[in-house]
Order: sequence, then structure tokens, then C-alpha cells
Amino acid sequence: MAQRLKEVDVVVIGVGMVGSIVAKELAAAGYKVVGLERGQTRFTVPEFQSPAVHDELRFDIRKALMQDNTREPVTFRNQGSQVALPVRRWESFLPGTGLGGSMVHWNGQTYRFQATDFQLATRTRERYGKNFLDPDVTIQDWGVTYDDLEPHYDRFEYLLGTSGKAGNIKGRIQAGGDPHESPRSRDYPTPPQKEHFQGAMFRKAAGSLGYHPFPQPSSNLSQPYTNPEGVKLNACVFCGFCERYACEHYAKSVPQTVILPVLLANPNFELRTGCQVQRIDLDSTKKHATGVTYIDAVGRVFEQPASLVITSTFAINNIRMLLLSGIGKPYDPATGHGVVGRNYAYQTMSTVASFFDEDVIVNPFMASGASGTLINDFAGDNFDHSGLGFIGGAYIGAVNTNGRPIQYHPVPPGTPAWGKGWKQAVVKHYNHTVMFSCHGSSVSQRQNYCDLDPTYRDAWGQPVLRITFDFPPNDIKMAAYVTAKAVEIGKAMGAKQVVGSPRKGPYTVTQYQTTHNTGGTVMGDDPKTSVVNRYLQSWDVPNVFVIGASNYPQNATWNPTGTLGALTYWAVDALKNKYLKNPGRLVSA
Amino acid sequence: MNAPAPPFARFAFSFLLTAALPCALAASATPAPAAAPGATPAAKPAAAAAPPCEACHGAHGEGMAAAHVPRIAGQSADYLKKQLNDYAAGTRDNPIMANFAKALSEQQRAKFAARYAAMSAPYIPQAKPPIAVHLARGHQLAFQGDEAKRVQACNACHGPDGVGVPHAAPYLAGQSAEFLASALKAFKDGTRKNDAGELMRSVAERLDDADIAAVTGYFASVDLSTH
Repeated sequence: MAQRLKEVDVVVIGVGMVGSIVAKELAAAGYKVVGLERGQTRFTVPEFQSPAVHDELRFDIRKALMQDNTREPVTFRNQGSQVALPVRRWESFLPGTGLGGSMVHWNGQTYRFQATDFQLATRTRERYGKNFLDPDVTIQDWGVTYDDLEPHYDRFEYLLGTSGKAGNIKGRIQAGGDPHESPRSRDYPTPPQKEHFQGAMFRKAAGSLGYHPFPQPSSNLSQPYTNPEGVKLNACVFCGFCERYACEHYAKSVPQTVILPVLLANPNFELRTGCQVQRIDLDSTKKHATGVTYIDAVGRVFEQPASLVITSTFAINNIRMLLLSGIGKPYDPATGHGVVGRNYAYQTMSTVASFFDEDVIVNPFMASGASGTLINDFAGDNFDHSGLGFIGGAYIGAVNTNGRPIQYHPVPPGTPAWGKGWKQAVVKHYNHTVMFSCHGSSVSQRQNYCDLDPTYRDAWGQPVLRITFDFPPNDIKMAAYVTAKAVEIGKAMGAKQVVGSPRKGPYTVTQYQTTHNTGGTVMGDDPKTSVVNRYLQSWDVPNVFVIGASNYPQNATWNPTGTLGALTYWAVDALKNKYLKNPGRLVSA
Repeated sequence: MNAPAPPFARFAFSFLLTAALPCALAASATPAPAAAPGATPAAKPAAAAAPPCEACHGAHGEGMAAAHVPRIAGQSADYLKKQLNDYAAGTRDNPIMANFAKALSEQQRAKFAARYAAMSAPYIPQAKPPIAVHLARGHQLAFQGDEAKRVQACNACHGPDGVGVPHAAPYLAGQSAEFLASALKAFKDGTRKNDAGELMRSVAERLDDADIAAVTGYFASVDLSTH
């Protein structure tokens, strides 16, 4: 029997970046907020300190910061005709757990999407005609525009202190920045990170081909910075342990370093960790949430009544929370009806390795999570796709983040996979290879979706999430096209051998690609094709807001965190200035 | 230390080519101290004066704790070279050291740095060892940091037990507490600012006097020869 707790104004499920921002804003506005976090409390000191935090075996191989998939796995299959099996070891993507969420182990790559991304369906139709795309592609407009989000992008970047160089301030192109970016209201809060040698080589080669290289926007900071919340961050020391690790230097912008000190000091906020939310509770009409039910670390069941519920968990867990709670109609790929779980998308990652002689010394370990150099000339809709048969694109960059000994050993094709030959090749090439990433968009497609698994359950007896996904033909074509462009840049660098590895199907869940899972609780203007409205409010249960990369109708070229931060502040604005003043539907269905 | 010190004479000779000594270092005209371990005494010319470093930093680079002069024996050559270059460029402010550094060519500075990096000197216990409660606080700052002050562990950059990380960060273990305290205070009040990205200032400005006494007392108590 659940113990019923005292009602509060707001319950936030998941205290990661989104949850911390929403909770901080609403607690500061005077509302009583409870944050429920399934993982542990953790801070820079003592949990993130070295040497323990630089344990590659523990964090990189054994994924110590990730969701515990012995208790809470997902299942996966490529096609609806297959039987999905549980993912018992995270490989392809790495959802985090614990206070601060997945952002604790991010790389700090802080991009904006472009104006065209938010109106992708309309824009594609207008530019390329309505029959340009495969009929199975289900891309759609977001219901918000870049101009809507610009002030919120700005606020998020200034919260993080992001280091970068503007390419377009209020329509004026800025030398050294990205000329393709949509206009920003002002420059980044801190100057760009130092460029590593691979980046410098890339800059020269890409520039010689007429492209527009610029420094990767980094939330591992180039200099000390005090954010508008009054929290101070340090400069990054280039230790090369960002992605999959926590930062011991207060130099990576994560909830612990940018906002949690302010949130946790507010008496209107209460953090409860070790709390596994089972469902959002609905009243008998199923149109109103009464709170949430959760199980604490020792197995006690609690009902936490609340007037407003925010689910701000990792993208795929947001989908599951709605499915477990019976909020919104589950998507059925056979009919195309239903919305929850629909338009699950990912990111299409390709690589290019440029091998040099031993006189070119790269020092790949001297890096940070976002200290690279890249071009957007083949990103998004920045080039003409007429006759190419696909939409979308990829940024190409020398954006290598580390040279860690267990995981990083580039070797050319034909190298033995093990033994003496392999070891000799690793020694020969480790310090003389430049790696490019082609970080590509991902269209949503009718057959790709998430639902509840019919067989497998978690440690609390609830069905786990089932992911059905394979790369759409659109994205395979895109990867081939852009990777060929990247190979040309490798050749322009003067490499002895350039090896392009365009992403090919089938998608495999056993090889790391990226933790940019998107979609499934899509935002939009039409309840038939979206789960939440443009303010991220559930169409079906208006006192539930769903915030995450699960809101993206399809994934754009870039890393999703910057856009998620902007959407979070956009939703916070709607909550504070619209919803909480007059609770109810913000958009009529 | 690993490598033997280079022949003493080369440095003495280099020094003779430089400008006149400042008065403050007149003490260096006292009889030349014994050559560093591993040096080649036979190579020492009769006319050679001792390098000025020894007057303050000691014959073996052991420093002079009471005068806040750091131990430099076995310190990272990159670190020592950077400091000499910074003194010469005026980006680290110390009138005595600036005069010496300016009188040396960049190549000579590199040689001095390498020489002291290759030296070893016995551990010198503190005149007044810290009490247990200060040692405990110092150990906490060294190994763990302090979340309330948003200070990370010293050892995160300065290496396990503060042994230093060549090319990146100087050793703290066995260093004079008096020198470490004066360095932290200089970073804190902004009179020393040759730390890349204000890395040291960011830390020092969050430490109070008690923290500084504790952490410097702790590092001075670490005798690496027994580790």
C-alpha cells in the first residue's frame, strides 16, 4: 500500500539538466518543488575526483555512470518482424543516471540547430518538391521556430558559459565563426577553446578547399566564468576525460557546476534520490494527473500528490514514463496511428581516418570534449540536395576528444585484429593519425519507434522499453555523400592514406555511435502527430509537461543538448508566464 | 633522480658571461659549495664562481624554507624553464629572480632548468610540524578537495600525493610550507598570475588562511624518499 505524502505544487521526475533548470526556476518563483531522482546524489567533490574518475576500465568499458541495465534495461530489434532482446551492456548509446543526469558524462559540445531544422517538412517540400522523399519518411515541423528559441538558446549558453566564436550576430557574418549559423543575438560568453593540432591541420585543409572551418562550441571552458546564477566555473585543463566521465575540475558545465548549488539552497526545493518513479498517477477521467507513485531505495512505495508533473528523464525514459502511465495513444506502425513512441530517431555517425608518416605528431590525448575544428558546409540544408535523393547532412570535423589507451587505437584496414601485428600497428599509428567525425542528421521513419516490451520487465516488475530501429535509406545515402567530402579534406591534409567509413546498415546496438536518442514524445501543432504541444505540454493530460530530446520530431545534424537547453527555457517561460497563472491547455487541440 | 647532473663547469661558465650580479646575491661570492651528486668535479675550472642559484636555492636545490625560497631539486624542467622565462618576460614578478633571468639567454635558462630537474636533495623536515588536525584538513584538500568551497583536489593536477606531473604541474610534496603559502597567497591576491587559465587563482581565491596553512603544512610533511 502506497504511503500518501503531503501534496506539493510540482513534481519533477529526473534531476538532470532539464529537471534542475525547471526546478530552479519554479522554486525561485515560489512553488514547492520535489525532485525525484532514481540514482545517487553526487558532486564534483568527492565523487568526481581523480585519480578514481580517470579509470578507463570502470567508466569507459564498464560504463559506471550509466543507467543500471541489470535492473532497468531496454530491449532492441532492427525490424518489427524480429523478437527484441534486452541490452545488457550499454554500447551504442549511454543513458546516464544519478544527480545531474546524462549531462555529467557529456562532451560539452554545445550547438544550435538552424532555422530550417525547425520547419524541415515545410522547407523540404518548398525547396525540393513534395515527392522528393521516401514516403516512409515521417519528418515534420516542430511547432516552434528558431526565432522563438533564440533568446532561450542564448540564456542556456550563458548559463553554461559556452566557449565559441559567433559566425552570425544579428545577420552580420563574423570572421572566424560559422557563416552558416542562424543569427544569434550576441557572441558566446567565453572565447573559443584552444585548437588542438588535429584541428589546426583540418582548418588549413578545409580552408584550402573553400570551406568555412570554425571552432567547436565547447562547454568545457576556455577561461574561468561566473554565470548569471552566480556560480563560477574553472578553465579546462585538457585532460581528455570528458565523454563517459565526470569532470573533477569544475570546468565542464553540468548541473553540479552551473545550477545545482543555487537550486539546492532554495528551501522550496526538496531533492529525493534513489526514487524510482513507477508512473504518473491520473484521476478517473484520465485527463488530469494527481501526482506520481515511486519506490524508494529500500522498497517503500510512496504516492506524491502534485498539481503539476514534469517528466524530464533521458529521452527514451520519457517515452516509457508516458507509456507506463497511460498518457497519450501508443504509436502503431502498422496503421501509422498513435503518437507515443512515434518518430524515434538517432544520429548518423561516420568517420574518416587520415594516416600520416611518423614525422607528423598529433598527440591525440591532448584534447577536451569539444576542442575541435569543423565545417558546416555539408550540414543540414546548407547545400543543394537536388538530385541527391536525400535530405539532411553532417558536420565534418577534427573533433577527436581523447587518446585514451584502452579505447583509442586507429589502425588502417588490413591490420590483424589481435596479436603482435595489431600491437605493432597501434604503436605505429597512435600518434600519427587524424580522425574526423561526420556527425549526421537522422530522419524519422514510419518503421522506427518505441513501445513497451511484451516480455521483459524491470526489477520493479514494469515492462521495459522496446526500441525498433534501423537506419533509413535516406540517412545511409547522406552518410555516403558527406563522408566522401570528408575524405577529400583528409587528402588535402596530405595524409599518406585516407580511409572513409560511411555509416552503413543495419544499425547495431553493440557498437558505440552516440547518445543522441531523439523522438518518441514529439512536439508539434497537431495532436494526431505529436505528444506535446509547442510548449511541451501533454495534449492529453494538460498538467503534465514532457521535456527532453524525446520532443524532437527528427534529429538534426548537431549534438542535441544545446537545443534541449533552449527548449527547456522556452517551456519554463511558458510555465511561469502562462500555465501557472492560469492552469489549463496552452493550445486548444 | 634519474639522470646525473650535467658537468658543473658548463653552467659556471655560462654564468660568467652574464651581467653583473645584483647586490642582493653578493652572498654567492662565498666559496663554491660542493658539486651536486653525480657532477664531474674534475671539470670545474679554478676561476669559476658558484652559480647564483645556489646562494638561495642551496647547493642541492633544497631551498631555504625560512626565507620562502622554494626547493627546486628534481622539479620538472619544463616548469622551471617556464618560471625563468616568465621572470625574464615580467609575467612573474620577483625583482631578484627577474634580474637573474633577464641576464640569461633562453638557452641558458633551459640549461639551468634541466640541471636542477636532474638533482636530488634530501628531505628537510619542517621546523614546526603541523598538528594532526591541520594535517587531516590538508590531506583532505590534497586528495579530495572541498565541495562547499568548490575546490578540487590538489592532486588532480599535481599528481598522486603531489609528486608533480612533468610538463604540466610542479611537485608540492616535500616543498617548503612557507614557500607554498606565499605562492598561494600571491595567486590569491593576484600578484602572481602566470598560471594558464587562472587555474591556481581559481583555487587559491577560495582558500582561507587556515586552509592555506593546513594544505601547505601537509605537503611539506610528505617525504617522498619514504614513499
